Amino acid sequence: MEPSLLEVKDVLKSYFENGKEFKVLDLIRFELAERDFVCVVGPSGCGKSTLLRIIVGLEPPTSGQVLFEGSPIRADNPQVAMVFQSFALFPWLTVTQNVELGLEAQGIPPEGRHARARKFIDAVGLTGFENAFPRELSGGMKQRVGLARALAIEPLLLCMDEPFSSLDPLTAQNLRDEILQLWANPDLPPKAVLMVTHSIEEAVYLADRVIVLSSRPGRMVAELEIDLPRPRNRKEPEFYGWVDEIYSLIV
Amino acid sequence: MRGLRGRLRILASIAILVAIAVAVFYPQAAWNAIQLPLFAVFSTTRMVFAYLLSLVFAITYGATAATNKRAAVIMLPILDVLQSVPILGFFPAALVFFVVTFQGSPVGIELAVIFLIFTSMAWNMAFGVYESLTTIPVDLEAAAASFGLRGMLRFRLLALPAAIPKLVYNSILSWSNGWFFLVASETFTAFGGTYTRPGLGSFITNAGLAGDATGIALGIGVLAAVVLALDTIVWRPLGVWSERFRMETTGHEVPRVPSPYERFRWLPRFPRLRRTFWASAQPVVTRYRRASVRLDRTYSAHPKVLRDIRFLDLAMFAVILLLVVVAGVFGLARLFLSPLPPAAAELPRAAASSFVRLALAYAIALAWTIPLAAWIGRSPRGSRYLTPVLEVAASLPATALLPIIVGFAILVTASLGPAAEVSAVLIALFSMQWYLLFNLIAGVRAIPDDLNEAARSFGLRGRAYWRRVLLPGMVPSLLTGSITAWGAGWNALIVSEYIPFLNPPPHVSGLGYLLDIATFNKPLPDNEMILLTILTMIVIVLAMNKLLWRPLYKRASVKYRVEV
Amino acid sequence: MSNTGDDDGRKTPVKDFHSMAKVSVGQILGLVEAVDEVGGLADAATISREVEMDVDRLGPILTAAEFLGLVTIEDGDIRITELSRKLLTANVRERKRIVREIIDDMPAFRLVMEMARSSGAPLGRQQVVQALADRVGSHQAEDVFNALVYWGRYAELVRYDSGSEQLTVRIAQT
Repeated sequence: MEPSLLEVKDVLKSYFENGKEFKVLDLIRFELAERDFVCVVGPSGCGKSTLLRIIVGLEPPTSGQVLFEGSPIRADNPQVAMVFQSFALFPWLTVTQNVELGLEAQGIPPEGRHARARKFIDAVGLTGFENAFPRELSGGMKQRVGLARALAIEPLLLCMDEPFSSLDPLTAQNLRDEILQLWANPDLPPKAVLMVTHSIEEAVYLADRVIVLSSRPGRMVAELEIDLPRPRNRKEPEFYGWVDEIYSLIV
Repeated sequence: MRGLRGRLRILASIAILVAIAVAVFYPQAAWNAIQLPLFAVFSTTRMVFAYLLSLVFAITYGATAATNKRAAVIMLPILDVLQSVPILGFFPAALVFFVVTFQGSPVGIELAVIFLIFTSMAWNMAFGVYESLTTIPVDLEAAAASFGLRGMLRFRLLALPAAIPKLVYNSILSWSNGWFFLVASETFTAFGGTYTRPGLGSFITNAGLAGDATGIALGIGVLAAVVLALDTIVWRPLGVWSERFRMETTGHEVPRVPSPYERFRWLPRFPRLRRTFWASAQPVVTRYRRASVRLDRTYSAHPKVLRDIRFLDLAMFAVILLLVVVAGVFGLARLFLSPLPPAAAELPRAAASSFVRLALAYAIALAWTIPLAAWIGRSPRGSRYLTPVLEVAASLPATALLPIIVGFAILVTASLGPAAEVSAVLIALFSMQWYLLFNLIAGVRAIPDDLNEAARSFGLRGRAYWRRVLLPGMVPSLLTGSITAWGAGWNALIVSEYIPFLNPPPHVSGLGYLLDIATFNKPLPDNEMILLTILTMIVIVLAMNKLLWRPLYKRASVKYRVEV
Repeated sequence: MSNTGDDDGRKTPVKDFHSMAKVSVGQILGLVEAVDEVGGLADAATISREVEMDVDRLGPILTAAEFLGLVTIEDGDIRITELSRKLLTANVRERKRIVREIIDDMPAFRLVMEMARSSGAPLGRQQVVQALADRVGSHQAEDVFNALVYWGRYAELVRYDSGSEQLTVRIAQT
């Protein structure tokens, strides 16, 4: 059998302070296969952002392992890209330069970089803003730059850390829909999405599968397949059934 | 338009005629006028060299301290001490070193001057770099790491841009600091001789010695013109430009197209030169990048090798640290174990009188800057007309005013002893007051309009208004200004307490005087006394910073901070 | 054919483009989606509750959406138009084209196009702001200019370089 894209194996994370151990994450275990859109949802303080940092290799787990395509994850793995809550755009670089960041690091020559950047800037609807600086953009546009930057390295796995929580509700809903549009196009990367959020509604709206974490330390409470057809309507009773179920699991 | 041009032509003709007349009747003044632009170029060139040196130092030192936590453990305290040392204290050591190394040739003296200016510029810039690199937002760091930015690329795209705002801000401070020491160092007396390098500083000093009033005025005028010109065509545009590198604090939904960087646009960008340069550098960079990627790949498969390298690194660091500490301890022990020189007995008294002098200057400075700042800060008219005047006055380093101040003191007191006292306090005052004034004005301006209006609507005026609104609003900026002002004051001691150019040299008792005679008054510098005097100063400055200013500042920033 | 009706009714002075200065594309699209989700008709209070934004913040977005002909507002009832329905089913590229068709004959844009055509060279920021100030007053000119750049960039009608502050008109692609 082919190994799955991502395997999170019994990940445990503790911090030590004054000789005391503070457990943040406890035995997290799940897998991601191709065409999986998975949301990790949990109350604040459940260590979900730490989990994501561990999964992309920015932090080591205290014990356990994260395997990507069967081998241990590394932070600069070009197959994994990250989208940040605070956008994490470089204020001194233009939209194009920001999008080209990962490509430049891979040593791709300028012509190839520009072409690839142009493609993904267009895919997220930012054509026209190529030479704008982040401060000239609205919040929604900034996150589109973050998204284009992540997609431009053509990753297999896209990780998103609360990508909508810095946006106002209208902009956030619009961006969610556009991300689903992109996801529906199998010609575009990524092959799988892993997203962390505190909003249950958001998780049910977007994900095929929701992983529910408890608070302090973060433990896996449930792993649910959301089998609602797309596009999902947040006003339908089935939708609310899922939201209520997850809500009761956390509380 | 034609009328204007015609009038300008007439004016130019008159100016030329006047110049010729002056040249005929006052040949000395004309000679000076011809020399001055050249001197200005010499002095500015020295400043530029020292600045470039400081820039390289600041970036390497700051970046190393920020990225290497182990190194930072010793690098930061060293920087802290270097910053607190009265900078002129470096001069004797530098002088001896450079003069001896170059066997008294002008090159050595030139280097000594540049080194001294460097020591007045480098430290705060290095701190600026360190601070900006350690406060890069976590997410930005994470983005850089996860998109694989490494080495030079990370430096070019993340570290350097992130450091630019603080680097530019500190550069502006350093540059004006540099003028002070440039003037102080272009002429000095040591080893029984007087060394002079041609420049604006030495020109002013010489004019002062000769009692040439027009010369002094000319020199100071040209210096002020150069300082202000560089300020307007270099530093201010740079300051505006650096704004675009500032991190955004809040994301706002409404997009904003930033307004002009017009002033910066005059700077040439040399597109072709840059392209050629990069074209030739590209192969090297690519090869380096490939090599480092290969190296990483090889090592990542061998965690043991990686661990060994890290261990080796740690061991080397430990050895170096040990060597430094042992050498330092031995040096200090030898100094204190050997019998102290007899002059050391004067140290406590000298320290006390220097301190009193600075305190007096500080009190005078406070007495006039607080009311003036309160007025300028609240009156648009006052700020429009008075600020430019004050900026011109502040642009003149106190060292350049030395001849005028000494002359004034002699005129007022009519005898040399008291004159030396007066001029010492005045020089300290001129070094300290501007830092207080401009910080205080900024403090008054920062008081929110709402607060002022609330005060007015509750009928607070007169003394109550001062006590409840103005003074509390000034406190944080008063403390910032005070720290800088006292730093400048300690530096000024060395030029203010002993004036070697007059005969007999006027002097007052104090640490600056002790340092001066230990350095310059003998055929060979008295190393022990130099070291002891500097050590005393460092101890006092550090003690004041750590025990007085920082705790006060911490308390004030909690209590008097205005939430916006 | 309600959108043609809207087009005819939009004999708006340049000034109204000011309402676009306070909102982003995402907010307007989000609003249209939100109204659509509750059946295409809702009163402002419901929408305000639905999207968790108070009327203060929602107001400018509603005004701008109405200005663009995407919603109609009557007695506090918000109704989405045919144009909105086209927008909702469109993909990212088509959305930009639809917005372009709405805004490219607005007076503010026509003014800039006119200026660019007659000068034959990139327009300086000051030049455009000055021209706008003659029509909308100097205190709004900056805002209108910013909105022009933002929406013009989105609709791919203009190119703007904030370094040199030069505005160019893009040749419309189909």
